Parts: sequence; C-alpha cells; structure tokens
Amino acid sequence: MRLRKSASLFITLFLTIGAIISFFPIYLAIINSLKTQGEMFASFTALPTKLHFENYAHAFKQINLLGSTINSVIVSVIGIGGIIFCAALAGYKLSRTSGRLSAAIFSLFIASMLVPFHSIMIPLTRMAKNLHVSGSTYGLALIYIGLGVNMAIFLYHGFVKSIPRELEEAARIDGCGEFQTFFRIIFPLLLPITVTIAILDFLWIWNDFLLPLLMLTDSTKYTLILSTNTLFGEYNKEWSLILAALVLTALPVIIIYGFFQKFIMQGIAEGAIKG
Amino acid sequence: MPANRYKSIVSLLAFVAPAFIIYSLFLLIPTIGGMYYSFTDWNGLNRDYSFIGLGNFVEALREDPDFVNSLLFTLKYVLFMIVLQNVFALVLAVFIETKIRTKGFFRTIFFMPNMISTIISAFMWTFVFSQVLPQLAEKTAISFLDQLWIGDPKVSFYSIIIVSLWNGVGYMMIIYLAALQGVPQSLKEAAVIDGASPFQTFRKVTLPMITHAVTICFFLTLNGAFKVFEVVYGLTGGGPGRSTQVITMNIYEEAFSNNFRYGYASAKSVILFIIILLFTFIQIGVMKRKEVEA
Repeated sequence: MRLRKSASLFITLFLTIGAIISFFPIYLAIINSLKTQGEMFASFTALPTKLHFENYAHAFKQINLLGSTINSVIVSVIGIGGIIFCAALAGYKLSRTSGRLSAAIFSLFIASMLVPFHSIMIPLTRMAKNLHVSGSTYGLALIYIGLGVNMAIFLYHGFVKSIPRELEEAARIDGCGEFQTFFRIIFPLLLPITVTIAILDFLWIWNDFLLPLLMLTDSTKYTLILSTNTLFGEYNKEWSLILAALVLTALPVIIIYGFFQKFIMQGIAEGAIKG
Repeated sequence: MPANRYKSIVSLLAFVAPAFIIYSLFLLIPTIGGMYYSFTDWNGLNRDYSFIGLGNFVEALREDPDFVNSLLFTLKYVLFMIVLQNVFALVLAVFIETKIRTKGFFRTIFFMPNMISTIISAFMWTFVFSQVLPQLAEKTAISFLDQLWIGDPKVSFYSIIIVSLWNGVGYMMIIYLAALQGVPQSLKEAAVIDGASPFQTFRKVTLPMITHAVTICFFLTLNGAFKVFEVVYGLTGGGPGRSTQVITMNIYEEAFSNNFRYGYASAKSVILFIIILLFTFIQIGVMKRKEVEA
C-alpha cells in the first residue's frame, strides 16, 4: 500500500525506536559481560576498551556450566524424543479411528490443555516423589513428556488428515503390519509437523524454570536455567559475572533462533491458528 | 463383525497406550488429585487428613488478605497485558507489513526477546533497572529515569509490565503478521481506489479480516497473564513486602516455602483454574460474536 512520505517516515522512526528498545537489554548484557566491574560502573553504555573473557571463565566454573548444559541437553532430547514418539503414534491412530472411544480419548487429551501448570504442580510433585522420578534429569524429562503430549497429539491429529489413506492401504497389501506401516510410511510423512513440534517443545523445555525448580534439589542435576538462577541469588552484586552467565544461558537459543527462524515463526503461527 | 471391532479397539489402545500412560501419571491424575486435595486439610506429609468441604475455598477468599491481594494484583496485570500487548503487537505487525524491504530485519529483532527464557529476561532487566537507568539518569540529567524501578510497589508494577511486554509482544506480533498476510491485497487496493485513507482501510478492511487472530492473541495473552510467575519472581520476588505478589507465587509460597499446606494451596490453585476458565469462556464468547458481526 502506498503511504504518504510523512507517514512512512513516522513508521520507520517508530520501528527503529522499538528495535533499539528490543535489542538494548541484550546489547547491554553482552557488552558489560566483557568489562571489569570498575569499567562497568564508569559507564554501562560505553563499549568495552578491552575484552575481558575471564568473566565467562569464572561463570563457567561457578555454575558448573558444562554440567548443567549437558543436563539441559539430556532433558530436552529425551523430552522431545518421547513427546514425538508417543504423540505421533497416538495422534495418528486417533485421527484415523472413528467411533466414540477414539473421540473420548482425544477429547480427554485436548481438554487438559486448559489446565494451568500451577494447578497441578502440588500433586505433581507428590506423584514424582512416589514414583521416584523427582530429583533426576531423566525423571524430569519423563514429566515433560507427560505434560507435552497433549499439544503434540493435537497437532499430529490435524496434520494426519492431509495424508491420503491410500498409502496405508497399499502398504497393507504389500504385507506391512500396522506398526510397520506407521514407522515406515506415515512417520516420515509427518516430518513438517514433527519439526514444528520439536522446535516449540525445545524452546519450552530449554527455557522452563518452575518445573526444574520444583523437581531438582541436587545442584549437579540442575538445568542451565536453574544454575543461572542460583548464581543470581548468591552473587547479587557481581554483575559482570552474572551477565556473563546470562549471555551464556541465552546464547544457545539465540543461535538456534538464527538457524531455524523461519520454522520457529511458521510453527508459532501454525500452532496458534490451529489451536 | 464383533471380532473385527475387538481387533480395532486393541490396535487403537496399542497406539495410544504410551502417550496415555505417561499423560495419566503426570497430568491427568495430578489434575484430579489437586481437586481432591482442595477439599482436605492435608499438609503433604501426614497419612491422615480430613475432609473439610469448602473450608479451604472460604478461607482463601474471606480470611486470606494476601491471597485476595495477589488475586487483585494479577487481575490488574492481566488487564494491562491484554490491552498493551495486543495494541503493541498489532501496531508493530501492521507497520512492519508496510515496510516490505526491511520486514525481515524488524521481525527478527522484535521476536528475539521471546527466545530468551522469561526468568533470564527478568534478570537482564533487573540489571537495566537497578544499575543502568540510574546511571543514565545521572549522566543525562533526565530525572524520569531515576526511579526505584523495582523497589517502589507503584513503579514496580509498571516495570513488571515493561519486561512482560518486552518478552511477549514478539510472539503475538508473529501471529498478527501471519494473519495480515492472509488479507488479500486486492481488497486493500479496492478500498484505496474508493478513496479510503490508510487508517480507514485498516479499520474497515484489514481489521475485520484478522479478527480470528485477535481472538487467538487475546486468548493467549489472557491465559499467559493469569499464569505469570517468572517475570515477577526474577524482578521483584513479589516484594517489597508482598506488594507485587501474583496468584501463582502465592500458591507456590503456600505449598512449598513456608506453610506446606498442600490442601489449602490446592484449593487456591483450583480457584485460579476456575478464574482462567471463566475469563476464557467470556472472552471467547464475546469475541466470537464480534467475528460473526464482521
């Protein structure tokens, strides 16, 4: 649409100011994480004169960064893998089966999407203790599967409708069993929605704070977010150290954002419109 | 064909079982359990506890000023977020949509904060509010910047809003952008030929075409805002005192940090659930009617 020059100028100005505000805290965290405490308090906005990477080294040691990154990776990989495995099977079959039982199970999954996490966190911690899964990275991943399957089932359920039934019939004639048909024929065809689900769940699990806070007590099992949280509590005034940790925690997602930007935005738009 | 039917049920259950078992353990049973505990005086430890009917609910709403205050504080937050988050997201989306050449750049920048964990965002902003802005105020003599951003309850409400918007606007913007792309260019051009101003075109053509997205974004904002926890936890910790405590924090505190009153905290979380359901149904109901009108 054509706009008058003044309107166009106003829009550019508005967006530019917005972009500066949007990026400012990230910029501040990065530049100040590379300064000494003294340099920082002289001016927070000035660029560092010399790059002080020792803050990062310090943060690396203080919060067992390597260990907690590995924990976060384990939880994310098992969580996402489990969600995809369970939800693809269920979503596919529920979508292909008509009848009251199938509809009832599907409704049960979907209805629970409305339940806020905070309403179940108390009985959930009890359940985790009773099943001896609290306090472990693997247990945490299991809980993510339980909490995440409903949304994934919903997305798979919708996507399966776009896959022609003839493919399964052909496979059956060729002598494939039901599970074989699923894993050989159907699952590869679900790839686009699988990618969407994997990305959305990665962002959720990687960035989640409250569930790890409730489940993990042993600091060697902490996820990255949880480790940063303890650092923030303990070293309240050591800003250069804290900022280095914040940058390190945010970096993996920013990098992934750079690579998968298109998929992420598409996934959000799809997830929202179908939801 | 009963044998065939039996076979198909078995096959259905075989496919659904892995998801259903794990879902039952960690979502379904806890949901039911929470509702059950909400009618008891269970402290989370003792084996025996008794049913006290609606006692917990009555106590929470009548005799617990901290809970009621957290409820009111959350409601105020929800209201601000619904209006501001959607206005900003929609304005950004519409503006970006007019800038075809730099669209990708602005979209990337505005969405970036959403990638960062909420709690990390809150810590980053704590740095900005407690260190950077006071120093900037000193250097530039703009006294407005020198506030107790997170120390004064009146101001810290707005600080919480700022961080929430910073973190969340990009997400809604993406949804609005996707919806805007679905509006046929020809309709807008026709309106321009008929002499409509850009604002009129937006009001009369574009907005009615994207009401579906508005409903979704209002729903998402409403749901997310009632559940706010991390931003407040990271920024003010609910303080000073309990002045910025939100419902979720009140529940958390009740169950995990000071009282260990599981039954009572469960009742509070059931209240939260009911409030969210109620508001969601009202919102969807009202907006669906609007969609039909348009």
